[in-house]
Amino acid sequence: MIALLLMGFGIVALIQIPGLIKKQWWRELACFTVLWSIGLVLSVMLAMGITLPPVSTMINQYISGMFGI
Amino acid sequence: MLEKGRISSFQLSVLLVGFVLGSSIIITPGGDAGHDAWIAIALGLMEGSLIALIFTALVLRFKDKTIIEINDLVFGKVIGKLISVLFLWYFLHLGALVLNDYVHFFRLELYPATPRTVMLLIIMLVCASTVNRGIEALARCSLILVPLTISVIFLVTMFLIPHFNLNNLMPILDLPIGKLLWSAHSVASFPFAESVVFVMILAFLNKSEKGGRAVSKALIIAGLVLIIASIRNSAVLGPMVAAYNYPSYQAVQVIDIRDIFTRLEILVAINFITMGFLKISVLLYGTVLGLAQVLNLQSYRPIILPVGILMVILALTNVANTIELFDFTHKIYPIYAVPFQIIIPLITLIIAKLRQLPKTDGGMP
Repeated sequence: MIALLLMGFGIVALIQIPGLIKKQWWRELACFTVLWSIGLVLSVMLAMGITLPPVSTMINQYISGMFGI
Repeated sequence: MLEKGRISSFQLSVLLVGFVLGSSIIITPGGDAGHDAWIAIALGLMEGSLIALIFTALVLRFKDKTIIEINDLVFGKVIGKLISVLFLWYFLHLGALVLNDYVHFFRLELYPATPRTVMLLIIMLVCASTVNRGIEALARCSLILVPLTISVIFLVTMFLIPHFNLNNLMPILDLPIGKLLWSAHSVASFPFAESVVFVMILAFLNKSEKGGRAVSKALIIAGLVLIIASIRNSAVLGPMVAAYNYPSYQAVQVIDIRDIFTRLEILVAINFITMGFLKISVLLYGTVLGLAQVLNLQSYRPIILPVGILMVILALTNVANTIELFDFTHKIYPIYAVPFQIIIPLITLIIAKLRQLPKTDGGMP
């Protein structure tokens, strides 16, 4: 599963990065790399069975507590 | 400008109808009002139209500017960027919620054995590909898909007329007024006021003065379609309408014309695929365009795929189970969405008026 993930992310990088380097869009390359890396780390964590905090459930608890629903 | 494409007011209206129909085509809004859901939708449409007046007035005041650029002008660079990030979070989160609806529906009704990740990646790849082609391609897609969807809704409604029992709609207004108003507000927040994401698109109208009328028309058409679907579902399913998560899908299952036209519920699923695609694409477009403007990028295209992946990850981890998803969308979402749909655009509009923004060369707005 992790190998598949790495392959998928590798393909995305191969599609995007050469074009950005060619155009010398360094700012875009930096943004792409940061977002791509966050996606990669979170995906690998999910593939390893690590549970990420459920955002809507957290918002649910926060608003329920605030308004006493 | 990051987006060079331009769309007509007609294309905007059709795209907005598709956006509003989005996931509400399968989860008919106002479900907690039971057989009075159509009244809740009508009231919600009124509230939603008022909310739309606020954000259209704001965006059309600043011609050719998206909400991200408007925030910078009204609040200054730092606070403006912070408010823009809040909007971007809302678009990303809403996109993930629609993806959640998508996956939960297909897992429950059609593809119980297909992994969620596979379904999410397939729809996200299609949406990313469309967004990559720009707002004009997205608007042109809607011109084909929305009329088809509305035609299918009317067709299945005609087929269901023999199964109508209008007594199922009686007694009218059989709800405490507080519950009806809450239900109406829920309908306003989902789906009508979600059209606030069009603050990222209204800037690309070729004739901006027609924007307000185009948005109003679209909301009314989408509202009428939803009211018809709601009356149809209540008339066919009776008191059970409130018990089903996907009443339109259940109602259409009843159709059986001489054993030839049966199992037409697949048409409802196809409608959901097409309208869901439009809604997710608009939200992805709003998120990537907004993020590119916040980060001063030359193009939003390089970040479409990574942001799409983040939307998928958020959809996978958003809620622990289906019950929590429904709990969130019915009880919490109408409160959670208020700052993004009403408070922030209203405050921005008031401050823009007080500061007489945008200023022209002569110093007058």
